[in-house]
Amino acid sequence: MRAAYLLRRLLYSAVAFGISVTIMFVILRLMPGDYITLYLEGIYVIAPPEVVQAYNHAYGIDRPLIDQYFSYFLGILQGDWGYSLSYSRPVLDVISEKLVWTLVILLPATILSIIAGIAIGAYSGWRRGSKADVALLNGMIFLRAIPSYWLALMILLVFAFYLGLFPLGGYVSLSALDTGIDPLDVLNHAALPIFTLFLFSVTGTYYLMRNSMLMTAGEDYIVTARAKGLDDMTILRRHALKNAMLPMVTRVALQCAGMLTGSIFVETIFSWPGIGMLTFEALQVRDLPLLQGILLMDTLIVIVANIGADMIYPFVDPRVEVGNDARA
Amino acid sequence: MPGRNTALYLSLGVVLAYCGVALSAPVIAPFDPFVISGPPLAPPDATHLLGTNDLSQDIFSRLIWGTRATMVLGFLGAVVSVVMGTAVGIVAGYYGGRVDEAVMRFLDVMMTIPFFPLLLVLTIFFRPGIYVTAVIMGLLGGLGSVRIIRSQVLSLAVADFVVGTKALGARDGYIMARHILPNVLPLVGVKFVTSAQHFMLVGIGLGFLGMGDPNVVDWGQMIERASKNGGIVLGLWWWLIPPGLAVTVISLALAWFAYACEERINPRFQVMRV
Amino acid sequence: MRMDDPLLCVRGLKVGFPTADGVVKASNIVDLTIRAGETLALLGETGSGKTVLGMAILRLLQPNTRIEGEILYRGRDLLSLPQEEMQKVRGREIAVVLQNSGTSLNPVLRVGDQIAEAITLHRGLKGAEAEAAAVELLDQVRITDPARMAREYPHRFSGGMRERALIALALACNPSFLIADEPTRGLDAVTKREILNLFSEVNRGRSVLFITHDIEAAASLAARVAVMYAGEIIEIGPVDAVLSSPAHPYTRGLLESLPAKGMRPIPGSAPSLIAPPPGCRFFPRCSCGAGRCEIEHPGLVEVGPGHYARCMLYD
Repeated sequence: MRAAYLLRRLLYSAVAFGISVTIMFVILRLMPGDYITLYLEGIYVIAPPEVVQAYNHAYGIDRPLIDQYFSYFLGILQGDWGYSLSYSRPVLDVISEKLVWTLVILLPATILSIIAGIAIGAYSGWRRGSKADVALLNGMIFLRAIPSYWLALMILLVFAFYLGLFPLGGYVSLSALDTGIDPLDVLNHAALPIFTLFLFSVTGTYYLMRNSMLMTAGEDYIVTARAKGLDDMTILRRHALKNAMLPMVTRVALQCAGMLTGSIFVETIFSWPGIGMLTFEALQVRDLPLLQGILLMDTLIVIVANIGADMIYPFVDPRVEVGNDARA
Repeated sequence: MPGRNTALYLSLGVVLAYCGVALSAPVIAPFDPFVISGPPLAPPDATHLLGTNDLSQDIFSRLIWGTRATMVLGFLGAVVSVVMGTAVGIVAGYYGGRVDEAVMRFLDVMMTIPFFPLLLVLTIFFRPGIYVTAVIMGLLGGLGSVRIIRSQVLSLAVADFVVGTKALGARDGYIMARHILPNVLPLVGVKFVTSAQHFMLVGIGLGFLGMGDPNVVDWGQMIERASKNGGIVLGLWWWLIPPGLAVTVISLALAWFAYACEERINPRFQVMRV
Repeated sequence: MRMDDPLLCVRGLKVGFPTADGVVKASNIVDLTIRAGETLALLGETGSGKTVLGMAILRLLQPNTRIEGEILYRGRDLLSLPQEEMQKVRGREIAVVLQNSGTSLNPVLRVGDQIAEAITLHRGLKGAEAEAAAVELLDQVRITDPARMAREYPHRFSGGMRERALIALALACNPSFLIADEPTRGLDAVTKREILNLFSEVNRGRSVLFITHDIEAAASLAARVAVMYAGEIIEIGPVDAVLSSPAHPYTRGLLESLPAKGMRPIPGSAPSLIAPPPGCRFFPRCSCGAGRCEIEHPGLVEVGPGHYARCMLYD
């Protein structure tokens, strides 16, 4: 039964992915002018026709549309995601490389923000209306309203520029040219980006957890727990927390999936060579194949995260058996 | 609760102030935002309250004019988003059945494509002005609100008063407009405010990434220019900080307004059993 | 304390819930006594304040509730106990079977664990011993295959089984006093009878406050019955006396609305508890009301041995 459900889910996601690819292909073909010319104009201003033609041929633009579509589609499935104009390397290569660096700052930030968000969100929701709750809630609303690019900028200014506690950007110091990459050095550079990403995502987790806890706190079984004579903290820990965390599973998965949006501004400001920075560069030079690849990668991550959440959920909530689409 | 009301009125006041500034920009800005009006990179003084930028333009005037772009991005986008989301949500939730199925499947697929990267790709090639950008953001963002509105409509559609009205022979369009819409409005209202906030941030973010409309003064572009032209290293705080601060303040105001409204509409009192 | 001193004595209890529209006076000057080993049924419609009363005894109401009066249990006023002391009373001395069994058990914890938790807390047994005790309790409430069911989650239990589990939970620490809030609500007639039988069996010798709107259930289990209306006790006495010769017009109306007796409902609806009528609260719906009833608030008057009614007819 489980296998059948898994298969169905995978099939469904494959279809969704396929449709996304198609949509992207269609959108890009609808672009005014063709992207080769656009890119070359960035270099030449007025692109000489022979160069345009040569590029067009190399990238297969001069073939019929259907042809292009199928070869594009098949290519995607085989791992050929196109060729980056600016890097002169396969798109997938470039992306995979940079993805690793993004994960270096994203993973710690996400894990920390989940733990912190759950802890303070749960406490806040449990003690709704208390001074701590009101302070935390207002603080979080405040934090969440600040645009990520400005937050990153301010952190960079304050901690790196004015206080000089951390480097101004990049992922290694110049000394790495001689001594090789030193993990501590990287950590030093990663500190501020991780901190910024953490601040940015903790608000979302906090808010969700608090809401979830507010609903859980009003449930009848909490009254039962009180009637047994358990003390407040025990009830929070043993009864409320587990129930309140259930909706978090799906939300957290989706949050992970939205990584690109979060990282693009932070990486750009801190000059961190990850996918966000890559996107920024690709935008500047209008490297469409690369952008296409990044968009595809992001879509793929969203799909995987969704499936992951679906798969994990039954293990967490005993009421749901795999095969029911009954997600809270 | 006194605290809640002051937040409401204060944030509303800020929003209205910003609108006022945007509308009266030609009148209150001391200089034309594109014109050379003094020495470049000059620190603040009596004539140039916030100094000048690398192109010798008055930063203070640019700040004021920039309010317009922000307002358009936010509110136009929010209008489009809300109209679309509500229309689709009501239709899907009301008719149910295959219409609903189709809409939900469509949404499922569309929602797997992340909003921001898609927006980036679209912007880079269409190079839209702020109005079109706002509309695009609205369309893409509106998809997200369809689900929430639809679920409320679903429960309304089977509510007694709706069924009763149907039994009296009222037409679908009438029921949707007259009975369902008003009940969904509070939800829609909150969504409008949060969307506006979101689109302002995203729209200005686009400017920051260099995807903005070069014909328009845009706070995002101001920040980008400032950081690119040595704003950080030279410590040009008067160029770097005000635009960001301006965005943050309106964003905060909208966020607080939405929160205050939300608490009003959705009082989370626990039902007393007696 | 003498042998026949009441186990529980509620004096002048007033409970109010502050809301945006005003304070809801859910309970108004309630006086109640229950002796050791006695079962008192608390009868009333929804909104009469009976659940509030039950919850108030264990201080399980919302934190911003306003409570006045005294609740004396074995001579101690529960309302003035500090939190830690109250926690010792809950579950151990006084236990409650909550309304709505469907949502009263934690869905992500196994049933056996939830019962074992109470056992560990109050009886000091740990681990395997507590589990074994839990299984035994499930057996006592006649759940088939108790060892297996203890390891299951609540959603696997049927309505009747959940009710039994809640009873087992309440009795885990052998409390002297049990509050049961509508234990048979939502159950079919057969299951209802089974639960009631079980209930009377396991509670022999225990004091019980049996909250219900089901007159027949009250008749079969209780020695005394108190009838509540709009937050007040309007009649109280031995069950036979009250049910065969009801003194208060409301009680009479209740009995007449039973299917067996003709099913004639009482016209009108219960008053708002934010601004209740100044005189007798039942006056607006009473068929024999007089001028006095509208202005004067009646007190409880003796109408028979141990039988009291709050009505101007007897004053």
